[in-house]
Amino acid sequence: MIEHPVRLLAALLSLTLIAILNPLHASPSVAAFKETPFFADRVARGDLPPIGERLPAKPLVVDLEARGRKIGIQGGDVISIVARARDIRYISANGYARLVGYDQDFMLKPDILEAIDEQDERIFTFHIRPGHRWSDGAPFTAEDFRFFWQDVANNPALMPSGPPEFMLVNGKPPRFEVIDPLTVRYSWDQPNPRFLPQLANPLDPFIYRPAHYLKQFHASFADEAKLNDLARSKKLKSWAGLYNRIDSMNEVSDPDLPTLQPWRLVTSPPANRFYFERNPFYHRVDTAGQQLPYIDRVIFDVAAAGLMAAKANAGEADLLFRGLNMSDIPILKEGEQAKGYHTLLWRNARGSELALFPNLNCSDPVFRKLNRDPRFRRALSLGIDRETLNMALLFGLGAEGNNTVLAGSPLYREEFRTTNAQFNPDEANRLLDEIGLNRIYEDGLRQLPDGRNLEITVELDGDNMVMADGLTLIAEFWRDLGIRLIVKPQDRAILNNRTYSGQTIMSASHGLDNAIPTPIMPPTELAPMWQDNLSWPKWGQYVETRGSSGEPIDIPAAQELARLYAEWLATSDKEIQTRVWLQMLMNHAENQWSIGTVAGALHPIVVKDGLANVPQNAFYSWLPTSLIGIYRSDEFFWTIPERRGAPKQ
Amino acid sequence: MIGFLLRRIVTMAVSLLIISALVFFIIKLPPGDFLSNQIAELRAQGEGASAEKAAFLIKEYGLDSPIWEQYLVWLGAWPGPNGFSGLLQGDWGWSFEYERPVREVIGDALWLTLAVNLAAVIFVHVVAIPIAIYSATRQYSFGDYAATLFGYIGLAMPSFLLALILLFYSNRWFGISIGGLYDPDFYGAPWDWPKVKSLLSHLVVPTVVIGLGGTAAMIRRMRANLLDELNKQYYVTAKAKGMPPTRALLKYPFRMSLNPFIADIGNLLPHLVSGSVLVSLVLSLPTVGPILLAALLKQDQYLAGFILLFTACLTVFGMLISDLMLAWLDPRIRLGRRSR
Repeated sequence: MIEHPVRLLAALLSLTLIAILNPLHASPSVAAFKETPFFADRVARGDLPPIGERLPAKPLVVDLEARGRKIGIQGGDVISIVARARDIRYISANGYARLVGYDQDFMLKPDILEAIDEQDERIFTFHIRPGHRWSDGAPFTAEDFRFFWQDVANNPALMPSGPPEFMLVNGKPPRFEVIDPLTVRYSWDQPNPRFLPQLANPLDPFIYRPAHYLKQFHASFADEAKLNDLARSKKLKSWAGLYNRIDSMNEVSDPDLPTLQPWRLVTSPPANRFYFERNPFYHRVDTAGQQLPYIDRVIFDVAAAGLMAAKANAGEADLLFRGLNMSDIPILKEGEQAKGYHTLLWRNARGSELALFPNLNCSDPVFRKLNRDPRFRRALSLGIDRETLNMALLFGLGAEGNNTVLAGSPLYREEFRTTNAQFNPDEANRLLDEIGLNRIYEDGLRQLPDGRNLEITVELDGDNMVMADGLTLIAEFWRDLGIRLIVKPQDRAILNNRTYSGQTIMSASHGLDNAIPTPIMPPTELAPMWQDNLSWPKWGQYVETRGSSGEPIDIPAAQELARLYAEWLATSDKEIQTRVWLQMLMNHAENQWSIGTVAGALHPIVVKDGLANVPQNAFYSWLPTSLIGIYRSDEFFWTIPERRGAPKQ
Repeated sequence: MIGFLLRRIVTMAVSLLIISALVFFIIKLPPGDFLSNQIAELRAQGEGASAEKAAFLIKEYGLDSPIWEQYLVWLGAWPGPNGFSGLLQGDWGWSFEYERPVREVIGDALWLTLAVNLAAVIFVHVVAIPIAIYSATRQYSFGDYAATLFGYIGLAMPSFLLALILLFYSNRWFGISIGGLYDPDFYGAPWDWPKVKSLLSHLVVPTVVIGLGGTAAMIRRMRANLLDELNKQYYVTAKAKGMPPTRALLKYPFRMSLNPFIADIGNLLPHLVSGSVLVSLVLSLPTVGPILLAALLKQDQYLAGFILLFTACLTVFGMLISDLMLAWLDPRIRLGRRSR
């Protein structure tokens, strides 16, 4: 029945492992469900049905011990801090209930869905858990999928651009069928390998919506004139704008909007403290029959970003990770003893903490020609002393080399990181001489063909001072190559616009966002697909706008990347996908489209003593770990009885 | 007097109109708008929000109309989606970031801002005036030098740095939670005694930090003003006629030296709302300052515009009040006539 994970694994892992990981074989049984103490009063009063009726008929049973975790005890609050009220929405990344989601080995597993039947990555049949309910108690059914597909995605008033892009294959939408109230099917003519990975994204595309709730704001189901009046009172032109505002599953700003996530919002914004309460209808249980999450309430205090480390140091957070970074580690360590918490050091899963992006679409003709010369980009890379950078920026703990995947990804190969990334100023100088960038004086600057000095302005987002420090060091290394590097920090919006229009020569930013990919994740970051990629903004524009603006890709090696990406998209064969990934990564190492430096910064995670089941060592990233989402925060629990005490209400 | 008032009110209206236009256009100057920023942020997180969707939302929010039209709609001089509804009609506009009317966003923050800044103003006066009198009457004494030293330190100390240091030690020594205006446990709780107590204990650091610079400046100015007056003949005469020194001091030179402070009310009023932005940011106070900064960064145009305009209003009214009070207090000032 669950064909997809099996196929995945078959390509990657040995057969023995399948028997353990496949939910069909491993599904543990539960003798009896235990009522959640938090809800005992409400159940006794009759406000909530008892546990047996709240859970789906087939809940997802989590075998914690098989994964080396402890079976917990329900109860207690976890306090965290957000920099601004809107950031509470990251709970949907950290809670991470998805139709299908990644597990800790980055395998796709059905989560909210009971099972998925998949045929050649073309036909996907979703099986909903019988008896699964929204957080308000209404049943979760095929209607919720149908509502999104027919009344939202394909409603020109709500989505003038049509269904989301990942649901189109060569511009064509899938055929959508409701087979029975608990089964829906999406089928394409060609494979759509992006479909399931996108559903596991930290920003859930929500191809299901709480239809029973949202219909009251939808003109097909409610009085349009009344809705329009309501919209105008909120400064909107029509009901469509109002609907879009209310149907904001990812914003998590409306306590009335039902959810399937482990915790639901109970505080109406605006506020300085937000309470989330456990979802009484959540679909996961442990083997002891306790409904997850273990933690009753998650509380977010709003505090200035600059105070986060200080507040953690004062013991005011039980769990804190977003908003901290490596430079906070000393102050976090300092307060550990006194305030009873510990600081875990996870690894950032970025391709490079600092990468340089020569703009291949630069409008200055001389630099455009230079940036497009692979010898020039290689020379720049060979001229960087990454060991010194590592010592200066990451206490020597980072991984030196190209902007590429990290060890830990099944796609990692040593040469991707090392090719063209050794410190070799002699070779770099030789390459620069060969290009014809001559020096007039022995130790002076090189000259551009039009007589200007070789001065490269590297532009970056002014918020990131660590990067600016790194660039200052690179400027020293490049001086030996006869190149002057000028650092220009500025506002990010301005930087983006300058890059998109070709005004920048080179910019600096983080490397790959997802540096621990598996072959089933789309290699979109490696190909010229988006204008956000600082190396080739205009190519990306051209692809995004289907040729109406930007420039067509005109370098053969980059055309190869686009071709490989298309090959990845068109196949359902994991071996081909793996080969495509490896070829693209090698292409990047050889061509130095972006010049990586050091990767693997440590990310501090502050955890109050007594909060168990938090991994000691893990990757921290947006994609694919969904912040801490894939580590299942619904399984964290308090080992200290006092912390599990009845919450103040 | 009435003629003067009328003339002043007309000039005030005109200057507010000009200020409102300036504020709005300057907020709109940077490239992009709230929604394009928003969409860039979403894309950075891997949601491929397409350009078409952005266009739809921009239209829905009316951000596609020309700037002058957006301005006039905001002002209430041009029909928006909801007819004439702008500042002139008492509608403060809509905040995109909070998805709420500006009135609701500012509401609570405004009161807390007033509380913090009022506390700081009182602190400044209560501390500065006695010290200034002391150091003026005992010029070049040890106490005077000590006050001067204190004053210069207060002027030179970057307030945000002091804020961080005080915050850290007030947490270490007194267990006061870091940042905010009361303990996180009291968020959303009704205003009872423990919450007020928590508010008061949290007010100490902001009050001292915000007030310190002002206190130092006030000591220096008050001292200088008083020194000017102390050598004048009326004061010498009063003392010579046997008036008790304290009474003589407070009755004449002290009153004279207050004049510049009344002239300062025009600056004090807007300061009550928009002052202390930096300190509020550092201390994470739920006041108007951080809201204003975030709104400007995000180009949440109506929210930012309203706060700035409101501050401008207070400045203009403050000026009027201080002019009127000066005229009333100081018989040497005559209104509306060129004195010869």
